[in-house]
Amino acid sequence: MKKYYPAIRMLHLYFGLFISPFVLIFSISVIIFNHPGFINRFNPAIALPDIKTKLDKIPYDTSDLQTAKAIIRKLNINGEIDFISKKDSSISFPVNKPGLRTHITVNTTNDSVLITQKNEGTLRSTTYLHSMPGPHNVSIRSNSAFLKIWRILADGFVYILLFLTASGVFLWYILNAERVIGMYALALGVLFFVGILLFIF
Amino acid sequence: MQFQKFLKELNFWNRKLHIHLGLFFLLFIWLFSVSGLLLNHGEWKISSFWDERKETEIVTPIHTSNRSDSSTLLKDMMSQLEIAGEISNVKMWADSLHFRVSKPGEVRTLKVNFITGVCTQKEMQYNLAGKIRTLHTFNGVDKNNPDMQANWLFTGVWRLSMDAIAIGLLLLCISSWIMWFKIRERYRWGWIVLIFGLGAAVYFVFILRML
Repeated sequence: MKKYYPAIRMLHLYFGLFISPFVLIFSISVIIFNHPGFINRFNPAIALPDIKTKLDKIPYDTSDLQTAKAIIRKLNINGEIDFISKKDSSISFPVNKPGLRTHITVNTTNDSVLITQKNEGTLRSTTYLHSMPGPHNVSIRSNSAFLKIWRILADGFVYILLFLTASGVFLWYILNAERVIGMYALALGVLFFVGILLFIF
Repeated sequence: MQFQKFLKELNFWNRKLHIHLGLFFLLFIWLFSVSGLLLNHGEWKISSFWDERKETEIVTPIHTSNRSDSSTLLKDMMSQLEIAGEISNVKMWADSLHFRVSKPGEVRTLKVNFITGVCTQKEMQYNLAGKIRTLHTFNGVDKNNPDMQANWLFTGVWRLSMDAIAIGLLLLCISSWIMWFKIRERYRWGWIVLIFGLGAAVYFVFILRML
């Protein structure tokens, strides 16, 4: 097994370095998710001035998503369309980017448009990235270029993280000096993990 | 000389921290990695939980004579029904009380009628995939009331564990940078790999919303 040590160590190091900034994104966002009240106090989201405009013509397309995409193209806005709400006289939908939430409401009777925006800041941009693509609105998810890329990165992040844990265990096991204390750390972690889950379920 | 000694000590403990923290959090990292994949890939057969949920309705007579505030009433009801979990969606009227009690993989919607003294429970049980998925997001945070604390002890404990894992991962990152920096001459590609990852992260977190 020792002959694999240098190669696995190199891969562990390079993959670890590559995903370390993403680990920061996912870790910081956990704190933000868990303590929203605290974050709201020192880093509140800022509502930007509303924009009222008019479309020369609503660019109806083959589907609601295509219509919404055509509308944001005309309005020169880009981002991920989260969901589309269609009523008798309006179409409305959020268009999101990490840290910036935009809501567009189009009045279909007179083609007027109301755009509201909220700058949520850097910390909340990490929570947006953490929750994307996520389990909701699957049929229209990844309708923007950046989320298509993020989806691949998010999956890649998890697979690399799993590789790092497996390779980390291998590298630790080879090191005789750390084996005993490592066993204690591992056993303590298992005990803690199983203990909490037993209480929860 | 003393600084050299300090650096040597730092490297020694930093390496130990990296190895043992990683081992301690191993199962937690696996859990959150797998649950993250399940959340992002609802189309996988293994992620399917909603269609396989089990729903039951239980009607129980309940003692409701002592009317007090909703919090005391809820505690009393839950002890009579012998259930535990995170309470949410509480709505109280003169003649009834509606609330929800959830645990990862289990959601109960309860309707108590004060006049008839009957509690109707709709219980939903998820399969293993559902339980794992809900563990990923189970923090007791109410989006409409962000200052509200978790009201079930184990929601608080789980939330604390999630915080600990997040801090642990941050420490693992920092310790990995320190370890690599020491041997950067041997792993010269480290700069490029780190800058590439950092660049991508900075683009998504800071730059994208300005474009």
